[in-house]
Amino acid sequence: MLSVAFIALSILWLGLIAYAVLGGADFGAGIWDLFAVGPMATHQRHLINHALGPVWEANHVWLIFLLVGLFTVFPSAFAILMVALFLPLTIVLVGIVLRGAAFMFRTYAADSTSPFARVWSRIFSTSSLITPFFLGAAAAAVASGRIRAVGGITHADLGSAWTTPFALTIGAMAVSLCATLAAVYLIVEARNANDNALAESYRLKALIAGAITAVLGALGIFLSPTQAPLLWQGMLAHAIPIVIITMLIGLATAYSLFARHYHTARVLIILESAFLLGTWGISQIPYLIPPDVTIDKAANTPEVIVTLLIATGIGMVFLLPSLYFLFSVFKRSYAVPERQKREAIPGKVSLE
Amino acid sequence: MSDLLAARAQMGTSLAFHIVFSVLGVGLPLLLCIAEGLALYRKDTMWMMLTRRWTRAAVVLFVVGAVSGTIISFELGLLWPTYIKYSGAVIGLPFMLEGFAFFLEAIFFGLYLYGWERLSPLTHWLCSFPIWISGLASAWFIVSANSWMNTPAGFVFRHGQVTGIHPLQAMLNPSTPYETVHMILACYVATGFGVAAIYAVAMLRGKRGDYYRKGLLLAMTMGVIAIPLQIASGDFNARFLANAQPVKFAAMEAIFKTESGPPLRIGGLADPQTGQVYYALEIPHGDSLLVNFDLNSTIKGLDAYPRDDWPNPLPVHLSFDAMVGCGFFILFVALVFWFLYWRKEGIVPENRILLWGIVLTGPLAFLAVEFGWMVTELGRQPWVIYGVLRTKDAVTTAPGLDISFLAFSLIYVILATALIRLLLEVARSPLPKVEIPGQRQEPEIAGV
Repeated sequence: MLSVAFIALSILWLGLIAYAVLGGADFGAGIWDLFAVGPMATHQRHLINHALGPVWEANHVWLIFLLVGLFTVFPSAFAILMVALFLPLTIVLVGIVLRGAAFMFRTYAADSTSPFARVWSRIFSTSSLITPFFLGAAAAAVASGRIRAVGGITHADLGSAWTTPFALTIGAMAVSLCATLAAVYLIVEARNANDNALAESYRLKALIAGAITAVLGALGIFLSPTQAPLLWQGMLAHAIPIVIITMLIGLATAYSLFARHYHTARVLIILESAFLLGTWGISQIPYLIPPDVTIDKAANTPEVIVTLLIATGIGMVFLLPSLYFLFSVFKRSYAVPERQKREAIPGKVSLE
Repeated sequence: MSDLLAARAQMGTSLAFHIVFSVLGVGLPLLLCIAEGLALYRKDTMWMMLTRRWTRAAVVLFVVGAVSGTIISFELGLLWPTYIKYSGAVIGLPFMLEGFAFFLEAIFFGLYLYGWERLSPLTHWLCSFPIWISGLASAWFIVSANSWMNTPAGFVFRHGQVTGIHPLQAMLNPSTPYETVHMILACYVATGFGVAAIYAVAMLRGKRGDYYRKGLLLAMTMGVIAIPLQIASGDFNARFLANAQPVKFAAMEAIFKTESGPPLRIGGLADPQTGQVYYALEIPHGDSLLVNFDLNSTIKGLDAYPRDDWPNPLPVHLSFDAMVGCGFFILFVALVFWFLYWRKEGIVPENRILLWGIVLTGPLAFLAVEFGWMVTELGRQPWVIYGVLRTKDAVTTAPGLDISFLAFSLIYVILATALIRLLLEVARSPLPKVEIPGQRQEPEIAGV
């Protein structure tokens, strides 16, 4: 069972979890930006800019890592996914591109009240909402077993796999999970900035978004026996304990938010996301794209995978300390200096 | 529009857009590193002001480079699934290593941009090293993957299946040393003259002072070291191609008939229908001499190969000559600049004609990069993996490719418009006030 392909897939899955808890939170911050109205809106935007500025670019690279990992370790499966999910993935791509560019355009515009900045701000938040939705729906299309590839031949799916009630539910759940992650992180950011009113508002948002995620998750499980039968059977066969742990962590997250243990909540929500994605992965074993493509059948030759694993090991030696350095400089608890609170635009702070 | 044409149009547009930013992503960090190093070493506020100003432009360019690069990594799969099935299996290694290099670049760019107040000046400067080193490494890895498309190696292809894969052999295929060096030098040439052109424009508009002279001087130094090396590297590449990809070479030089002692054709329209080259300037025996150092050596023309395997020589030949032309013009301007600089014993020359020449080198250097890629990519047609997989067999079966092409073209127009606006804002905003520990000086206030 424990083939090199399986090890490589597990590493890719860890990459997926990293993208979800880091990149996902970036999307979530954009979603809250969309809903930021009223007198606190500008304040919220400043906090979001401040939190995202230094790290969003690095968070985003996890996706590239996933993409490259998938096509080097499972080249034939990657080709199938790219044909079958051409439409939703093209929308995801447009979303990612507009989002990244828009965040920078709005942050670096000289006048943040100009129409230029306002339009890009809106593009940033809208694409933050759309992208995780289609990513979630595409993932659900894979899990539901509706992408057929008999003999490696597949056809572009124009909606029969990724617009099912199951896929739409999972798409919506991806959005609410991103929103929950971001809200929990932003509580900590707001408290670091000594802004208790904002922290309280994000606490409420985290609780609401978390509750919505739980409801959508339950709905997903309810729909899966009919709409994702292989996933459902796999879950019953070898993922029941993990499902229960996932639910317990969800409850613990809600409790810690309720009791205002924010740092604990941050750890728990990360664990929750990891377990959610883990449940999906474990339930799908032995399939990569159920029901026609298994992990072993789609894998590159073991020698190539070993080379890739060695390269990944070497890469990680450079990557992990650098990531640690980045987050330790920008995400350590620190009191935001008065000057920086007024200056919303990080790149400009040093220039005035 | 046929699916193949739409997919090629979208890929070509994406590459042409992205390459501008990847070039700057390799070149600018090195300029930043040198300028900040000089600022700290000499306690010179002028160098620090240049560093700050370039950083502001670099962040905007870097982000657009990152998102347009994301488009390309998706498009490799979305548009060419069959290509990625083979190349993912064989040449995935450099793509993966490039992923790590890009990751490091993004991390240290974040630290560099937002860390002015959080890091000590020395640590901040040290953060610029991983940026330019991983930019350099990224370029090497990605171009080695492209080299593999031109001279595939490290696998056996039989009955539509790849076997016997050696990822390292694939990465170190015969083209790799030639292509990678040529592209990396191109990054420094284009960045150097691109930045120099901006300061030349400022000087032509009457801006004078230490700030502009230093900006011009550093950029010109980078460019002038790179351009002669680049022309030498181009010469090596051409002679390598004459053996490794003779069809591409014949198209580049517009040679239809195999003959001994063919002339060097400069410009002209190479018509694949008639097999004639119209309006070209011909230097007798020139091509033979350049390739084999022999006036009468035999060079294979396109007629030595099946018609189905020909690239279209018309754009390939013109792009090649345009690239070479840009290269020599840049070399000429650089030589004049340094001759005058030496004659005046270390004073930056401010001759108007020379400044106009420098202004031209900026866009021409970037055009040379674009033309060079057109030679590589159009010259490899009709193959996507030379001799293994034809482009028409690699394209996706998904519908709506023409709509996709239009949508992405629109995105590029929007991104470019917004980007130009932001860069102009940067250029017009007053120069930053900077302090260096141990040195205070009131900077002059102006633009660019």
